[in-house]
Amino acid sequence: MRLVIDKAGKLYHGRQGKVWALRNFSLELRPGVLGLLGPNGAGKTTLMNIVATITRATEGTITWNGADLQRDPDAVRAVLGYLPQDFGVYPNLNAVEFLEYFAAVKGLDAAAARRRIDELLPLVNLADVRKRPLGGYSGGMRQRIGIAQALLNDPQLLIVDEPTAGLDPEERVRFRNLLSDLSGDRIVILSTHIVSDVEATATDIALISGGTLVAHAPPEDLLRAAEGKVWEWVVPSVELSAAKQRYLISGTVRRADGVHVRLLAESAPAGAVPVAATLEDAYLHCLSTHRAHLAAEANAR
Amino acid sequence: MMRDRVLYHLARADFLERVRRYSFLLTLAFAAGLAYLIFAGIISLQLGEYRGVYNSAWAGSMLTLVGTTYISLAGFYMVKNTIQRDQQTRVGLVLATTPMSKSLYTLGKALSNFAVLAAMVSVLAAAAVILELVRAEAGGLEPGKLLAPFVWVGLPAMAMTAAVAVLFETLPVLRGGAGNVIYFFAWTTYVGVSGLTGVNDYIGLGFFMRRMGDALKRIDPSYQGGFAFGHPNAQAAKTFLWNGVDWTPQVLLGRLQWVAIAIGIAWLSALFFHRFDPARERSRRKMEAPEPSEEQRAPATPIAEIHLTPLARTARSSQLPRLVAAELRLMLKGQRWWWYLVATGLFVASLAVPDTQARQALAAFAWLWPVLIWSQMGAREARYDTQKLVFSCAHALDRQLPAVWAAGVVVAISTGGGSGIRLLIAGDWPGFAAWLAGALFVPTFALALGVWSGSSRLFEALYTLWWYVGPMNHIPVLDFTGMASMRLGTPFYLLSTLALLTIAYVGRHGKLGYA
Repeated sequence: MRLVIDKAGKLYHGRQGKVWALRNFSLELRPGVLGLLGPNGAGKTTLMNIVATITRATEGTITWNGADLQRDPDAVRAVLGYLPQDFGVYPNLNAVEFLEYFAAVKGLDAAAARRRIDELLPLVNLADVRKRPLGGYSGGMRQRIGIAQALLNDPQLLIVDEPTAGLDPEERVRFRNLLSDLSGDRIVILSTHIVSDVEATATDIALISGGTLVAHAPPEDLLRAAEGKVWEWVVPSVELSAAKQRYLISGTVRRADGVHVRLLAESAPAGAVPVAATLEDAYLHCLSTHRAHLAAEANAR
Repeated sequence: MMRDRVLYHLARADFLERVRRYSFLLTLAFAAGLAYLIFAGIISLQLGEYRGVYNSAWAGSMLTLVGTTYISLAGFYMVKNTIQRDQQTRVGLVLATTPMSKSLYTLGKALSNFAVLAAMVSVLAAAAVILELVRAEAGGLEPGKLLAPFVWVGLPAMAMTAAVAVLFETLPVLRGGAGNVIYFFAWTTYVGVSGLTGVNDYIGLGFFMRRMGDALKRIDPSYQGGFAFGHPNAQAAKTFLWNGVDWTPQVLLGRLQWVAIAIGIAWLSALFFHRFDPARERSRRKMEAPEPSEEQRAPATPIAEIHLTPLARTARSSQLPRLVAAELRLMLKGQRWWWYLVATGLFVASLAVPDTQARQALAAFAWLWPVLIWSQMGAREARYDTQKLVFSCAHALDRQLPAVWAAGVVVAISTGGGSGIRLLIAGDWPGFAAWLAGALFVPTFALALGVWSGSSRLFEALYTLWWYVGPMNHIPVLDFTGMASMRLGTPFYLLSTLALLTIAYVGRHGKLGYA
């Protein structure tokens, strides 16, 4: 099982001219969970749409087990489970009918589809509302039916874009556990802004910014890179604004003795103490290093 | 002043959102198509055995009348989605929290509808100029006489259509498919009454009929009042000179009253407008129930206790019949019992009724009844935002699209089957072939328009119009039901089916990133 993205790029022709949403992007994936992180507009959804065969790359190749998706998209579609960030449902169908419809579209035979639906509905905690029309589902319930739909064909490649959006904390934890359980023998691409979701499930992290790959490494490697650069500093409230302008701040907590500021810096401000880096710190550190590098390159030109 | 600004921006944003969609081009193409039908002589205006001499007044009046008549029907369906769009894009929820009044909102929406319809009228006005330049039989181009009918009849008619569309959208009963059907019958009745009475109607049919009739009587006092508008049975043998309407202040006030009424209707719509309150949206209220509470909900089964059976490779098949059945279920899901009752009634009646004319009408109605089912074809994925889910499945182009088409054909054969069986029993093979060609053509037409426009409205508008002009007015070439006495259309409908299938395939191919 191997997904290879080689120098992929996507050019959009907008009213403001041409925009590269993704450029020279290469990545090789094997079974496990890849956490896709990046700021808004970084190109995460574009990348997922390309791999999910929703949109065609302008340049580069994407291969699944050696099959070129540009020439043979059905090679991956047959084994793909995809949960887009935004999707709709047919409001007059109930959960079973909706899944039966997609089982037919995905080419599952009737008996296997029925068995699979019976297993999936308790998994996404919708068994007791299985006969209710989807038009009456809440946002979280719709998200869960989307998750069930993505798992219908027992996918070898599972792509989930912001899967926990709209889920309550209990369901979020449940989904994380499900993702971890599923990841053993398939490739999972998880895109999210919720770093804790990635922290809990990802075996690898790809950081994207401005349409390019900034880093691709296990979480431990990213954490190591930020180690020794994260500090906690207590400042009076009135000095918080100045501190924000001077340092990259990843969090603040107000306490009786002042504001406890968590910041990233090569060297500690006077009075700051070192703390262990979290994945969020590592993400911010990686991004700020990348941006500083780009700025230096621009200045050199 | 502030209200004017809000109104302007409401209408502007809505209009820009529409004109930047591909379907707007199809809207203009519809107006251009109407103009072509006039150029080709398929649609014309005759008063008994007379037609007007081609001059600026005649070209302007005729194209205005064509525009107001057909656009007031088809255009209504094209614009009756402005509030629905705000609901679907969730922009409405944001607007609802602003100080904007409900009346300002409905007025803004009516104004945007009007702008779209006025764009269609403008296409016809441009066509009138070309018609006058190409076919001029008397005098040169007189812009005043040519354009005055568009301004004083065309635009007020569009204002009325725009406002009525907003009213229908705000009234829960008229918002959905039932409203579309009701509008169609209300429109046909109104057109019929206007044609009979010659009153100053908003469409302008009676308005022009009376004035043109008076002008003709001055030349030929024996003229008895025939006013054929549509497809002429025979070319007019004589001509008369029409110098246009005398636009006196009284006449102008008579036309402007429709603009005032349109504003009144748009204003009145605010009374029924739900301001995007989910509790006041009828369909949602009926279906939506809150998520079960903690107490009601059965405890979630721990994930560790759930076993997902790995799917055997053999569990994957590519059975087209199963996919057709799934598409058919999706099409019919949500139809009420009375829909099936009426469909069954039309099936049985078109099979059993002995009178030929009655059977023709029943056959026509049997294929009007499923219009809202067919109109979803090819557009359902865009309407319900399931494109990414469906299009990322294997064989979305070569299996799912044919399955949708086949399901549509099954609906056509099932609903119009009474006529088909009757033709078979009578041994009328050419008739049966024509009926079968119709059964293939109608869903293919729906699929092609749905795929390309991403909306059900274009098919609803064009098909209703076609149905009215063809099967209802017994124009043989345009009658796709197979009931016309001359089955001239069979090869045309079969070829059109093939062409439309190709168009649908190409359209879907373009929507799939890969294919």
